[in-house]
Amino acid sequence: MSPDTDLIEEILGLAPGSPLALLRAQRPEARQHAQGAFRELLRPGDPGGVSLAERAALALRVALREGDPVLAGRFRALVDAADPAIVAAEDLAGPAGDGRLAVLFRHADILATDPAGCGQAEIAALTALGLTPRDIVAITQLVSFVPYQIRLLAGLRLLQQEQAA
Amino acid sequence: MTSFTLKPVGWRPRLTPIRAETATPAELAALEACPPAQRSGAYARTLAHDPGSLGERGALFSIVMYAKGGLPTADREYATAVVSMVNGCVYCTSVHARRFVDATGKPEAMQAVFDGGFSAETDPRRAAISAFTEAMTRDPQAMTAAELAPLRAAGLDDLEVLDLIHSIAMFANANRLMLSLGDPLVPK
Repeated sequence: MSPDTDLIEEILGLAPGSPLALLRAQRPEARQHAQGAFRELLRPGDPGGVSLAERAALALRVALREGDPVLAGRFRALVDAADPAIVAAEDLAGPAGDGRLAVLFRHADILATDPAGCGQAEIAALTALGLTPRDIVAITQLVSFVPYQIRLLAGLRLLQQEQAA
Repeated sequence: MTSFTLKPVGWRPRLTPIRAETATPAELAALEACPPAQRSGAYARTLAHDPGSLGERGALFSIVMYAKGGLPTADREYATAVVSMVNGCVYCTSVHARRFVDATGKPEAMQAVFDGGFSAETDPRRAAISAFTEAMTRDPQAMTAAELAPLRAAGLDDLEVLDLIHSIAMFANANRLMLSLGDPLVPK
């Protein structure tokens, strides 16, 4: 992806000058900082204790849970699709146990589907993996940001359909 | 929906927040990008553990909630209160319900929705906003363009609809951060 590419516009196939691109251009900072948050969460210069593959896998997991296969595909394409974290993220029934990926995906699953169900135990489980507060905040920001992208995409698709009608 | 309140609700973080006196330049810069009212709070200082994401996300939040023109403040605050109710975020509901009341002077309108659910909304514009907001919060993939029609009938133009979508999306995000990184402290 080139530095000028906007993930949302790429997914929706919005041509420059199209009605929806012009509408988004009325809120340039919203466009800029949504792309910036995506970059900081998925492609940070210093990923700390959560690898780029694990970040892509967590985002993939939430996109799959939220039923957006196109966005899911973008996360999958960020890293090697054969990476163990990506492979594990694809199986929504797993993984079981208290291994690192199991704990990470449980946090993503709860936040995607039942955010009010997340408690101190979930944060303690992340700490028990050896993750720092920075890592835990980054993971939580990441799995909480994909639902933003999901609803922005869904809403813009509705406007596209409305214009096409 | 009886757990929601117009009274101020506190928030206790599950991680120890950053302290301004010992924060790094990157952490301080990220806090500066947050709305002034949030900067010194426990929530922003908890998110400051990861300055890169706080800086971008804080700037996104500010523009979504406070950009000039487009959807009026009262409607943004109403929609974000509705998202917060659907997601069960008592803290965010209290904050944005009170901002709705500040903008409209209508505590009884918000209380009616707390007591009777979204179907208790009698104002046609807010009823259209709450129906769209609830649907997009619960199951965005199930929506169709027909669900824009009530918003159009209520008079929302393209920029107002975009602002509404941004507000709904922002609180899909904000509620998840609040609910996972801390506990609400509800007044007795």
